Amino acid sequence: MIVYDKQILKNDALVDEADTLYKGGFISKEQRKFIKKELPVFKSQDNILVRIGFFLLGNLLYSSICGAISILGLSSEDIFLEICCYLFAAVGFAGSELLAKQNFHNHGLDDSFILGALLNVGFAIGITTEGYEIVIAFFVAVVAIFMFLRYLHLLSMLVFCLAVTAFLFFGMFEFGDLGKAILPFTAMILAAIFYFVTKKLINNLDESYYYNGLLLANSFCLVLFYLSCNYLVVRELSAELLGTEVKPGTDIPFAFFFYGFTFIVPIVYLVQALKTKDRIMLWISFLAIGFSIYTIRFYYAVLPIEVALTLGGLILFAIAYFSIKKLKGKESGLTFKPDRINHSDAILNAEALVVASTFGMKPEIKPQASPMEFGGGGFSGGGSDGSF
Amino acid sequence: MKKFDEQSTLSLYEKGLITENQFEEVKAYRNLNIFSVNAELKLFLYLSVLLFTSGIGILIYENIDTIGHIAILSLLLIVIAICFYYCFTNSKGFQKTETTFEHPVLEYLVLLANILTCIFIGYLQFQYKPFGEHYGLATLVPTIVSFFCAYYFDNKSVLTIAVTGLAAYIGLSVTPQDLLNGNDFYASDSLSYSAVMLGVLLIVWTIYSNRISLKTHFSLIFLTFALHIISIAAISNLLHHYILIWLIFAGVLIGSTFYFYKVSYEFKAMSIYVFMIVYGYVGINILIFRIFENVDFSNIWELFIFLLPAYFIGSIIMFIKLIKNFHKEIAE
Repeated sequence: MIVYDKQILKNDALVDEADTLYKGGFISKEQRKFIKKELPVFKSQDNILVRIGFFLLGNLLYSSICGAISILGLSSEDIFLEICCYLFAAVGFAGSELLAKQNFHNHGLDDSFILGALLNVGFAIGITTEGYEIVIAFFVAVVAIFMFLRYLHLLSMLVFCLAVTAFLFFGMFEFGDLGKAILPFTAMILAAIFYFVTKKLINNLDESYYYNGLLLANSFCLVLFYLSCNYLVVRELSAELLGTEVKPGTDIPFAFFFYGFTFIVPIVYLVQALKTKDRIMLWISFLAIGFSIYTIRFYYAVLPIEVALTLGGLILFAIAYFSIKKLKGKESGLTFKPDRINHSDAILNAEALVVASTFGMKPEIKPQASPMEFGGGGFSGGGSDGSF
Repeated sequence: MKKFDEQSTLSLYEKGLITENQFEEVKAYRNLNIFSVNAELKLFLYLSVLLFTSGIGILIYENIDTIGHIAILSLLLIVIAICFYYCFTNSKGFQKTETTFEHPVLEYLVLLANILTCIFIGYLQFQYKPFGEHYGLATLVPTIVSFFCAYYFDNKSVLTIAVTGLAAYIGLSVTPQDLLNGNDFYASDSLSYSAVMLGVLLIVWTIYSNRISLKTHFSLIFLTFALHIISIAAISNLLHHYILIWLIFAGVLIGSTFYFYKVSYEFKAMSIYVFMIVYGYVGINILIFRIFENVDFSNIWELFIFLLPAYFIGSIIMFIKLIKNFHKEIAE
């Protein structure tokens, strides 16, 4: 099923490993260079900026090819409008296959053709079925999983997960109001089932090719599980889909369960992540905790926003400070020492950028005639950015 | 993942690409089962600073015209004093090279103290106008404080605040989101010239710092700002209707592209290289467009559509070559 040469895939894993070992300081620069020379690998771009650049260029190329086809087609029949997306999708397939044969993998160019094909398949089915969502979701899911299996394309796996979820949702809508009402529970149960299925698949893997994709699906299940019964999501979705309005003094059915779920699941994730040393789950638990807090603030303004932010900052600071204090001396297991092998400090590099965008000073606004207006102007706060 | 990583290490060893010692060392290290939350906890510290200062900022903003402001001001001053006290007592003093604190928390305390100082001065100026009508001065003072903190405590985040402050002093907003929006500051000519001048100033300062080897690791930040400021100012003016002005800025863009091409090789900086190429490419396309703008193509526009794919394939091949070259150069 995989289009790529197995040997190159193996080399790729080895070169990646050599890179991590070099960054961890286990092997010398010459050694890494020698390994790279020894093992031929794919044409891929590790630098995310470069990859995005090539992705954009690929999109330009793709759309220009489609444009050229359209010029030919437009002069012919009306039928062209109905089949054009199939043609564009075919261009995408051909392009992906061609690029894969040239050993492009995770390069940006291949991304644009694979994702473009998926998008056009969606459009094409949409045009043929006049926007019947469940069929669109089904075909997109099928093509996406094909793309993942054949080109080992991670983003396709994400598209597949989203399409399957959409398929489930639209499938439940077919059952009318009952389907909509039990949707949170169905989603939750299916997420749980798929979580354990993917987990099992990962554990049974012999080769690492599909590892990343399965891991992505696994993490997706975690996110879906949390969101499926989150109070905010359930309440807003039921208002949207069933048109139920929550009157003051009343609450949605099973509110107690959903509240409990919103709080317990992130904690379970956090504990489980620390216990099993699962970094992805750890991050999902952080995000889930953040979203749970947001959920509460969405309905109950417990504190004014400025006090909440200030206090939140202080509490977070205290947590971080004491955790650092506690973990500082440890040499193994859970520790504060930077890991030599798994770096996750890419985020920290973006720190300066975030500071610049949130606290960067802006030019003075010239004082207006009324000082009161100036009090509301950009001088003292500019909303939340606080500096000027 | 661990399973596959270990397999990879093993097969590297089996292929004789790493020595037995190295293999054993890696294996021993993996068996420590390290799960580092270094980045996560630092991120927490950082988030806490962001939350806290945003909270304080809004607090002051909301209460600015009420009686509580003396209390807020003095409280702010006390917090700033405490933060700076801790930072100064624990710092190793000024050093020309890269330094870090013993305790990672202090780095974020510096950031906190700095942002609070900026809020404090802004508030002071609004309420009591110590600088009178010299509003520029109210920007310049926090900028100077920020530069001092950045250099004294060796803090990159503070440095970026300082650079945005410097730009704000001459009337530019160079926060990333404004740069991305291609803000209308560049619509006026004089601001574009000052933007280019600011960029040149940053470059000159970088060259000078490198010569006297003062905080050479700051170079990349200065150069990044310079690249984006100059290039965006130049590109927005390429669409100017006066031929002389857009020709000048075309020259500026060509010059800066050439300079940053050299610099990115020198610093082995992929980010500068990529953006240099992107700006250069955008610039060239606009130039082509401007040159042909007065020619009437209405009869052969279909030909253009057919030529486009070829044009993009050509560009892609060129970019792949450029990136490959760069990788080859920096690997050496």
